[in-house]
Amino acid sequence: MSEPAIFFSDVNERQGGFLRRAMLMGGLTSAGILALGARLGQLQLVQTGRYQTMSAENQFNFRLVPPPRGRILDRNGVVLAGNRPSFRLLVVRDETKDLDATLDAVEKLVPETANRRRSMIRDINQSPRFAPVPVANDLTWEEFARVNLHVSELPGVMADMNEARFYPFGGAFAHVIGYVAKVSDKDVARAKEGGKSPDAILFHPGFRIGKQGIEKALDEDLRGVPGGQKVEVDARGRVVGEDPEGSRPAVPGKEVVLTLDADVQNRALEVFGEESGAAVVMDIRTGDLLCLMSAPAFDANLFVGGVPSKVYRALADYERKPLLDKALSGTFPPGSTFKTMTGLAALQAGIDPKRRVHCSGGWSFGGRTFRCWKKGGHGSQDLHDAIKNSCDTYFYTMSLEIGPDRLAEVAKAFGLGDTFDIGISGQKKGIVPSTAWKKEYFKKASNPDARRWWPGETPSYAIGQGALAVNPLQLCVMTARLANTKKAVVPRLIKSIGGVEQPSGAAVPDLPFPHEHLEIVRGGMAAVANDVTGTAYRASQLGLGPIQMAGKTGTAQARNYRAGESRKNFADWNYRDHAWFVAFAPYDDPRYAISLLIQHAPHGGAADAAPRAREIMKVVLLKDPEIRKRIEQPYVEPAAPVDSGAPQDEPDSFIGSEPAAPAPQGTPQGTPQGTPT
Amino acid sequence: MTASALTRPGERDRLSVKFSEIDWRFAGLLFAIAGAGSMMLYSVSGGSWEPWAANHLIRFSLCFALMIALGLVDLRVWMASAYPVYALGLILLICVELFGYTAMGATRWLNLGFTRIQPSEIMKIGIVLALARFYHGASAKDASFSFKLLIPAAMIGAPVLLVAHQPDLGTAMLIALTGAAVMFMAGLSWKIIFTGVAGMAAAIPPFVMFVMHDYQRKRILTFLDPESDPSGSGYHIMQSTISIGSGGPLGKGYILGSQSQLEFLPEKQTDFIFAALAEEFGFVGCFSLLLLYAAVILIALRIASLSHSHFGRLSAAGVTATFALYVLINGAMVMGMAPVVGVPMPLLSYGGTVMLTVMIGFGLVMSTRVHRYLELPSGRGFFF
Repeated sequence: MSEPAIFFSDVNERQGGFLRRAMLMGGLTSAGILALGARLGQLQLVQTGRYQTMSAENQFNFRLVPPPRGRILDRNGVVLAGNRPSFRLLVVRDETKDLDATLDAVEKLVPETANRRRSMIRDINQSPRFAPVPVANDLTWEEFARVNLHVSELPGVMADMNEARFYPFGGAFAHVIGYVAKVSDKDVARAKEGGKSPDAILFHPGFRIGKQGIEKALDEDLRGVPGGQKVEVDARGRVVGEDPEGSRPAVPGKEVVLTLDADVQNRALEVFGEESGAAVVMDIRTGDLLCLMSAPAFDANLFVGGVPSKVYRALADYERKPLLDKALSGTFPPGSTFKTMTGLAALQAGIDPKRRVHCSGGWSFGGRTFRCWKKGGHGSQDLHDAIKNSCDTYFYTMSLEIGPDRLAEVAKAFGLGDTFDIGISGQKKGIVPSTAWKKEYFKKASNPDARRWWPGETPSYAIGQGALAVNPLQLCVMTARLANTKKAVVPRLIKSIGGVEQPSGAAVPDLPFPHEHLEIVRGGMAAVANDVTGTAYRASQLGLGPIQMAGKTGTAQARNYRAGESRKNFADWNYRDHAWFVAFAPYDDPRYAISLLIQHAPHGGAADAAPRAREIMKVVLLKDPEIRKRIEQPYVEPAAPVDSGAPQDEPDSFIGSEPAAPAPQGTPQGTPQGTPT
Repeated sequence: MTASALTRPGERDRLSVKFSEIDWRFAGLLFAIAGAGSMMLYSVSGGSWEPWAANHLIRFSLCFALMIALGLVDLRVWMASAYPVYALGLILLICVELFGYTAMGATRWLNLGFTRIQPSEIMKIGIVLALARFYHGASAKDASFSFKLLIPAAMIGAPVLLVAHQPDLGTAMLIALTGAAVMFMAGLSWKIIFTGVAGMAAAIPPFVMFVMHDYQRKRILTFLDPESDPSGSGYHIMQSTISIGSGGPLGKGYILGSQSQLEFLPEKQTDFIFAALAEEFGFVGCFSLLLLYAAVILIALRIASLSHSHFGRLSAAGVTATFALYVLINGAMVMGMAPVVGVPMPLLSYGGTVMLTVMIGFGLVMSTRVHRYLELPSGRGFFF
């Protein structure tokens, strides 16, 4: 609208203004660049150490090298748990193009994986994308070769060899040794207890942690120290290089030696056949457990690779409870084996062992009849006879004079109601009743009478029934202490860890009982096994020349019988009585004690338990070099020497569950179904 | 008066004279930076000319030739094309808005059939030309404080809004700041500057909260606390900072940077190439490079100052401002001082479009230098 407004002065003004502003601009920009330079100085000169560390953390990874797990050996060095090479198939998620297609291809190579598709995918998804995830273990050589042949066509699939836990004896040691399996969230949570950071090896794919028994209790000793391999990785975690100087080797786990004897333990499982129960053998001088076996067992190897749920259900649902360690966790009334304790308590109460009681097949107290197992009665019995014949009437009669508290005191001194530090968990205390126990047990009961000890309870207690409940280990300890007569030996299961000897079970106080009293009870036990009228005479003959056994049978009610009900031959397994046998040998110089339980036995203590105990004891005795020497010496005293070299000639007729098993030998009582209690 | 000022009329129009007026020092600095870029691209591809280093060098050579050629173009031609270029840029931006090509959630490209172009890049030159052209014809008073300032404000506002809507916040910001820089150097009143800065500061929080897209907001928040999202968008900042810091005073050595070689450094060939250089050449290398950039900027500002025409001064200064903004924003970003915005380090980063834009800009600077004594018409018409 107006004429040109730019004059010369204006031109100069614009130029001058621009120059000032351009200077400012240059200054600002320089300041900005200097600020960048300052920041560079801060990062690269001042804080560089910190960033160099972070960069190295990016660049280098420690790749864990799992250590070989420590072996578990028996007392003679036989491997009970070892490691064996296993071919594995691994999948790296990041390198597969299509996981489904890859697994389809894997299925063709290893058909077994077809059933586990879902769990494989879960495992793969839970791991880092670049980590090799083992999806199949224990490939056969053919499968391994087949996979290797096709590896080049299957990106992300590889096969390698690692060490897998292996239990050569499968079932016999399953309860004691336990097994290893995949690390669960619970294991991780346990490792985090107390604010500790869990061992990184727990997250290593394919790592196995001890879940039960020795494997669990000594997991940290057996585990070893993982080695580290310093590797250079890229941003996706792929290994691009290795630094041998920055690597350290794995330290193998410690070797654990148990006191068990594989031959004894295996024989024990063998003689149980289909029966359910437990057998415990102990060296009475040292407390070393030679056998700690629960039957039926399961194959621990099944659990290492992950037990299929169908198999697990079958094991868990089977009424004979193969997963339960009956030697430690099963508590049962001890039945007549407890009469040894009652006898000792009677002597403690000042009862004359020569005092006689007449047994006419029953005993009345408080308007109730307590029956003796022998309907016709035993006639006149002293303490020795009563133990030998397992006469209930005798002990009923004495029980009132002994009283429950003295019984409990004696029982506890012999380890009943006690747990022992054998290194593995799962021991149940059981119950040793007393007046104090009853008061405590029924303290919440509304009726004050429930807390009182009634005299009528004591007779049952005296013959090992009632509330009394013990586990097979406790009964073995009891027998060992009876046999030892001096020391209150405690059991020991772990002989050494990594070559370090564990404390022996012999360093213990003496038993608080007079030697003569113990001798009287032991005499009764010897008669049980060696007097032809003893309840287990026939079943206890070892056939090992001068070596003889002393023992006590027991039959424990698994349920209450209604009046007049027959206790014989229930078709239903659950309803049958439990059979016990406790013994020690040799009688003249005791070395070993055994306790053996047959749960819901077809016949009873003498018929079912004693022959099995005898067979186990034979192996134990023959493996002892000193005893073997005694056996192999020409035995001259009686005119007819016993064929000592061939104890195996005895027919193993008790094996199996045929009800008539012991029949060929005949029972000393002459009553095949009569159950001496 | 220098000797050259006494040359005969028409002498300066001779091509050989023009050619001798090219600032070869400046051109050499650009070559040095692009060479450093090519060297780093060779390194980050693991010591290979493929796929980036060779390409980078070839592109730069072509762009360099273009810059020289544009430097010989008469400044009057530049001035005459100022509004048309701006108008073209604006029309293309509107076309993008209407039927642009969408990639990665943003519509920034126009598909011409044989190639795709990014009109916002044209606008980076266009805004400088148009503003310089406007101020050339405006008095000092108009430029300082008057209602006429609404015209440059609108000239800046229109493309900024269009680009921001694509959404390409980085480029929008760059255009806005470039425009602001030209207005500033044209003599904008301090009153307006302070009011504007205060207004902007007040507007940022509501802008971040209500206008930004989620991913943009996240970038800002992550910048404020990179560790909050170490594997997501904070990852870039953290890894870049680690790369730079771990370089130390002298660096890890050529092709020995673990961060860039092992792919921990993201976008290592483009936005984060500076961090790769910092890792391998350390403080000494980086600071030298920053000095090169500073020299380029200061020389370009001096070229602007020596121009006899207001259009020449402002356009050269505007191009310089764009370049300086690239350097400062990218530098601050890779060092963890600014949020991650897609602004490359000019001439160092791999990428043809930005290189082309920058070199066309420097062609304008060269032209200003070559035609520094040229008096331009008053500039009241569309072309002149």
